[in-house]
Amino acid sequence: MIYFEKVSKQYKSKEGGDKLALKDISLHIKPGEFVSIVGSSGAGKSTLIKLINREIIQDTGKIYVGGLDYAELKKRDIPYLRRKIGVVFQDYKLLPKKTIFENVSYALEVAGVRKKDIEDRVPRILELVGLADKTNCFPKELSGGERQRVAIARALVHQPRILIADEPTGNLDPKTSWEIIEILQKINQISNTTIIMTTHNSHIVNKLKKRVIKIDDGAIVRDEQMGRYEV
Amino acid sequence: MQSFLRIFKEGFSSFVRNGWLSVASITVMVLTLLTLSLFFMINVGLGDVIKSVQDKIDISVYFVENPTQSQIIDMQNELAGKSEIKSIKYISKEDALKNFRETHKNEPALLSSVSETDNSLPTSLVIKVYNPDKLSMVSATINQAKYKPLILRVSLEDNRLGIDKLLRITNFTKQLGIVFTAIFAAVSFIIIFNTVRMAIFARTEEIEIMKLVGATPGFIKGPFLVEGALYGVIATLISIILMASLLYFAAPTISKNLGDSGINPTNFLRDNFLIMTVGQLLIGLLIGMLSSWLAIRKHLRLA
Repeated sequence: MIYFEKVSKQYKSKEGGDKLALKDISLHIKPGEFVSIVGSSGAGKSTLIKLINREIIQDTGKIYVGGLDYAELKKRDIPYLRRKIGVVFQDYKLLPKKTIFENVSYALEVAGVRKKDIEDRVPRILELVGLADKTNCFPKELSGGERQRVAIARALVHQPRILIADEPTGNLDPKTSWEIIEILQKINQISNTTIIMTTHNSHIVNKLKKRVIKIDDGAIVRDEQMGRYEV
Repeated sequence: MQSFLRIFKEGFSSFVRNGWLSVASITVMVLTLLTLSLFFMINVGLGDVIKSVQDKIDISVYFVENPTQSQIIDMQNELAGKSEIKSIKYISKEDALKNFRETHKNEPALLSSVSETDNSLPTSLVIKVYNPDKLSMVSATINQAKYKPLILRVSLEDNRLGIDKLLRITNFTKQLGIVFTAIFAAVSFIIIFNTVRMAIFARTEEIEIMKLVGATPGFIKGPFLVEGALYGVIATLISIILMASLLYFAAPTISKNLGDSGINPTNFLRDNFLIMTVGQLLIGLLIGMLSSWLAIRKHLRLA
């Protein structure tokens, strides 16, 4: 599903001197997997996610997602790629001027889905994340956990094969965090969606008992099935 | 078609939800359009003034006492053969007396100075031309040596300086108006472009999110262009309403003070309403959409 081959990425810093974010990363994530990526801040987790979503482009190495070679991807194809991947952003990235329903339906509208299908699918997905009663609220009227669930709904509504969640529990209390993880697990089980999640939360990783990849200083230092979070 | 409708819907809804930014942009655009219309009106008005002045410019040739009638006819025929000349009117001593009495009917002292028996008013020809520049040609014809003994006085020589001066001033003002209109249009464009740019800058995050959920640049750009077009349409409506009511209420004052210089506000509005509406709409749409397009362009890079 996702295949990285010796991928490196460095950022140009303003003070001069480049910061190496990822060094020769190679990894393979199979369809239907639920992978947690752990590591301290600045280790390179977000860079990895941005590479998959093509927000940034690697300096060296090869990336394949769903059989697609990113080297052959043209700029104008990027919007279509992003419609096949659902991303839940750390800061939610909801459109502040749009209601919950509109935020979720926007992901379908950009893909040219018919109105009838939108009216069918959006309430169902909002039901799934437990927000059926907040349809017409604006993001600022919601709690952090609710916003996170809107973000998940939006990432899922176009039924992507891959769901990426960047620190989905980063700003949430333990109880809400686990509710979010349960939603992700449910999605993983129901539709066999590949899920890649970055997190700091050792408690969650230990409870999940799924594959864990640890990144430190831009390199993969550990990759194990049924992994635990170790410092 | 579906996404076309969506883009329109998006544009309208974001226009409404970005209330104050829309108001700011429209206000600037209304001011721009009003100023442009004002310059336009001044230009057209000056044109009318020039026309009315040109219409009043004529040459009067006054003849000596008891002129040779055949020579007057010769002169009349020679002038009538020229295409630049609009009209030639023969005014006999009796006509001159009638005109004099009409003009000075409230001044008995002047009226008593002439009578049918003691009429010192000269016979004359009043010559009008289509283009005042051609007046010199007319005066050259009149001033030929063969007519010399016939002529008492030619009135053009008296008015010449005043007429030239007036024409120069009106022409200069007209050109100045065009220059100012151009400068003001450019300044307004820059102001509106910046207003829209700030409006879009305030929404960079929004645009960023749209890109991240897979919107194509065209799909993102569309609603912003619709918004820009809406600014133009609404600003035009407001500007036209303001301008029309302004002219309507000012019409009596304008007519009273400038009526005899060829300016008639009511006719002006009737004659120019369509061209002004269409013109403002086009300028409004152009400025609104172009500034939106330019302002959003750099936010649409994908990776």
